[in-house]
Formats: sequence, structure tokens, C-alpha cells
Amino acid sequence: MSTVDDAVTRGRNLTVEQLLLLAVGTGALLLVGDLILGVFDGTYNISRIGRYVVQGILYGLIIGLAGIGLSMTYSILNFANFAHGDTITVGAFIGWGGTYLIGGWGAASIGHLALVGPQRGIGGPQFGISVMSTPIAIFGGLLLAGVGTALLAVLIDRLAYKPMRGSDGIPLLITSIGVAFALRYLIVFVYSSQSRGTTASVPSADLLLVDGYVSIDAHDGTLIAAAVALMIGVHLLLQRTKLGKAMRAMSDNKDLALVTGIPTERVIRWTWMIGGGLAGSAGYLMVLWTGTIDWQFGWLLLLLIFAAVILGGIGSIYGAIFGGLIIGVAMHMSMIWLPGGDFTTITAFLMMILVLLIRPSGLFGGTTTA
Amino acid sequence: MAMLDVSGLDAGYGDLQILSDVDLEVVEDEYVVIVGPNGAGKSTAMKSVFGLTTYVGGSIEFNGENITGHSPDEIIHKGIGYVPQTENVFPSLTVQENLEMGAYILDEVPGDALEAVFDQFPILRERRDQKTGSMSGGQQQMVAMGRALMLDPDLLLLDEPSAGLAPDLVDEMFDHVDTINDNGTAVLVVEQNAKEALRRCDRGYVLVQGRNRYVDDGEALLHDEEVRQQFLGG
Repeated sequence: MSTVDDAVTRGRNLTVEQLLLLAVGTGALLLVGDLILGVFDGTYNISRIGRYVVQGILYGLIIGLAGIGLSMTYSILNFANFAHGDTITVGAFIGWGGTYLIGGWGAASIGHLALVGPQRGIGGPQFGISVMSTPIAIFGGLLLAGVGTALLAVLIDRLAYKPMRGSDGIPLLITSIGVAFALRYLIVFVYSSQSRGTTASVPSADLLLVDGYVSIDAHDGTLIAAAVALMIGVHLLLQRTKLGKAMRAMSDNKDLALVTGIPTERVIRWTWMIGGGLAGSAGYLMVLWTGTIDWQFGWLLLLLIFAAVILGGIGSIYGAIFGGLIIGVAMHMSMIWLPGGDFTTITAFLMMILVLLIRPSGLFGGTTTA
Repeated sequence: MAMLDVSGLDAGYGDLQILSDVDLEVVEDEYVVIVGPNGAGKSTAMKSVFGLTTYVGGSIEFNGENITGHSPDEIIHKGIGYVPQTENVFPSLTVQENLEMGAYILDEVPGDALEAVFDQFPILRERRDQKTGSMSGGQQQMVAMGRALMLDPDLLLLDEPSAGLAPDLVDEMFDHVDTINDNGTAVLVVEQNAKEALRRCDRGYVLVQGRNRYVDDGEALLHDEEVRQQFLGG
């Protein structure tokens, strides 16, 4: 009898899954069909769609870059780090403090500059900070954001997570929520809760796309170049270097790594440094791109990063990158049909839910690790 | 003088003590097997040598040095290699990367050790760039052994190398263990496949309920009436 039951269960699962796939497929086809028809009859503006795609890719690059660190700590330390978002914010503040110090030297007190201009009206736009006018300040700040956040991540590990090494995911996750709050309100304490503009406007290239223009400015370009370079760097690190291979080995099997003689604590320390460094860089680039900084943008970004990382298959850095791009583009493309604002967030999570229903381990889950 | 000298070892996992008063010796270049019924503590005895169990009492000496309570990474530096029974490869790494991990504690991957492993397992040379997770059980076992050989250990611990393999591969695996031993590495092997193991080894230990029951030459154990009756199925 049990074989019959099995067969019935299997059949039901198959029908349900197929139905789901069918529904999702039909939905996707309808949207694509509507898009094509709309473009032809002039309801949708091609250049507007082009702008959404570009904005989506830029946003996706930030989410993907930040997601790499989250995915790495998940696969090597086995827990979802809720403090990752606030690490991003801290990184941005550290980096922009450096940028202000270099780019605005003499224009305000050192304290004011290092704290990213807490006083209203004396900040980046007034100093004329941009990648065109003060490139050294921008790249110095980016470097400082990466290095500073890497060191901060190691410090947090030493204080909060290392004493709990060996406990499973849930206690660590709860600890990370505590760390997240501590970081967030430390940011408010040090840098104030004032949100402020950081950059002067930069020239942009307007590309003609059939019926209008898609503009990409110098900061968009900087974001693309820096994010792609960092992603390629991580890829090479994981595939080519001894440390990277050890990180992949640890994400495969920690116990075996230990009996093989891999110094697991040292690998964990590097994992925090690399993940933290990328988070800080992503935060810095996000501020460069949006031109504003505030105390909770990383925390607000974190849910989207989780969506991207889970959609891509948690534990895979390639999944994080592609998940980020998919989420970013889907969010912006959804504005063709939906009003913007919070509706784009709904789209992001809907995408995640649909992918998980059809492929529970995520797009890259179970095939590519670390 | 024994290279590995375990005496009066009491050990287990957490509060659960499995081994009581176990003695174990391996001399240089020797081939020693541990056999016994399921749950006798064979694997536990081997893991204890490698510092993977909870120590209760007794002592473990290697090359005259007390290694009781040392951690696995310290023990690797002393010249002992260990191949776990299951999940003993990194599936998402290629064959060559797996082998490189075996030599992680060295600054550079020793080219001659890599060549020696490839000479012993030619199939691994052919498939050096293949992901280990996509290989057969027998081939994964070779990768696992090769990884443990990368540091050219004085003593290699093998936990049931023939477990779960197709019958025709079991013999091949035993041949590989013979070759490793012939090349000058002492081996300590835990085996389910008791008859074949005793036939090939220098000396055998029969462990029952966490205690030493018999110790003798492999051939002698194989022909011992009591051992045959109780553990080798007549």
C-alpha cells in the first residue's frame, strides 16, 4: 500500500509543482507580451525601460557586492548575519569621513570632516566632492571604507562571535541581531541621525535610445567599474589562491578541513575581513551613487540583500551576484506596471518567493559553493 | 620500539565513554588492522589517536612524544595522516585542489609529493581538474587517501577504506593500502572486511565492546579457532 501512497504523493507533488511552474510561466509570458505590445503601440517608452534596466543593474551591483560577504559568512560560519546591513552603513561613514578629510581639507574643522559633516549645509556638495573634481578623495575613501570595515568585522568577530564558535546557527543569528542594534545606535551616537548630501553633481553621458535618452553619470560609471573589479577580484581569490581554496574547502566540510590541517580560525578571520571589506565598499559606493548618507540605509538594504542571496542560493557568491542583479532589475522594471516606492520592494520579495517555490535551494544552490 | 604507543586509553564522546583500557601499538613500516563487531569502538580508537574524541585516561605516544590531548592540526605536524570513513573529500573542489589542501600546512605544494600521489593513483592524474563531487565512491576514496599522503606521513590512519565500495573495487583498495605500506608508510586500518584485512596485515587487533580482546599476527588471528567462530563467521 505504501508504494501506492508514495506514487499518489509523488503524483500530487508533480501536478502541484507543474501547475505552479505553469502559473509563473504564464504570468511571465503575459508580462513580456504586454511589454512588447506596449512598446509597439507606444504605451511604453523604450528609453524609459532602458533607464529602468540601467538603474536596476546599478542597484543590483550594490546588492550583489554586499551580498557576497553575507553569503560567505553563511557558508563558512553557518549563520545568517543580521549585522551585515549595519556593517555596510558603518563602512560608508568611515569611508566618507576619509573622503571629506581629503576633499574638504581646510574647509571645515577636522572633527566635522571626519564625522561626515553632521552640521547642515557644510558637506560634500559645498566642498565640490565628486569623482571628477576630487578623484583622490573618492578612491581614498573607498579604500578606507574597505580596509576600515574589514578590521571592524574582525573586531566584532573577536568580541561577539568567536566566544560562541561551535554553537549552531540560531544563537549566532540572535547575537548578530544584538550586534546590529549596537552598531546602528553607535552610528547615531557618533555621526548623528541627520541624513545629508555627500556629492556635487557630475557630468553625465546621455545615450540616445530610440525615443529618448538614457543618462549615465560619472558616479554610475565609477560604481560599475569598482563593483565589477571587486567581484572579479573575489572570484580570482576563491579560485586561484590557497586561501580561497581553503575557504571553499571549509564551506564544503568544516570537520574535514580541520583534520586536513587547514588553520580554520585563520580562514574564518580572512572570511570576515573579505566579507566586511566588500560590505564597506558596497556601502561607500551606494552613497556615492545616491549622493546621500543616513544612519539606517544599510539596515534597510539588508532585507533586499537577503532576498538576493537566498534567491541566488545562499552560500554561493555567484548566486549572490546574480541574485542581486535579478532583484535590482526586477524592482526597477516593475515600475512599468506599478507605482514606485514600496511596491518595488514587494516585487523583490515576490521574485524571491517564486524562485524558492520552483527551486528551493536557489538558482546556484547545491551546485557552486563559496 | 613502537612508533605509536597507546596504553590504557579510556576515551569517548562527551559523557559517553566508549573505550576502556585500550592498548595499541604500531611499529615503523608496520601494517596493523583493527577488526571487531559493529559498535566495538574501532573507529573511536582511531579517532582518539588523531585527537578527535574526549580524552578520559591513559596515554598516547608517537615517536616517543606524548601527544595525548593534542589537537588534530598539531598531530598532523607530528607526521600522522587521517582519512575519515565518510565525507572525506571536498566535493566542490577539483581533484588537484583536494590534494593541495592536504599540503596546506606547507608554504608551497610539494611537487614531488603530488607526482608520487599521481603515480600511485594514475586515474587522479587524468582527472586532476574534475570536481571531486562528481566522481565515483572508489575514486573519491583515492582522492581522500592521496590528500592524506601529500605530507608523506610516518603513519596513516585509514577508517574503513573499503566501506561502501563495489566488490571488485574492494580488492583494488586493499592493493592501494599494500602499496602505501610498501612505500614505507606505516598504516593503521579499521576494517569491516575482517578476513581480507587480516590476510594482508602484519598484525591485528580484535576490539570488542571498547576493549582489547585479541592481539596477534594477522595469519594467527585468521586461524585462531575462537576468533574464527566469533568474528569471522566460522
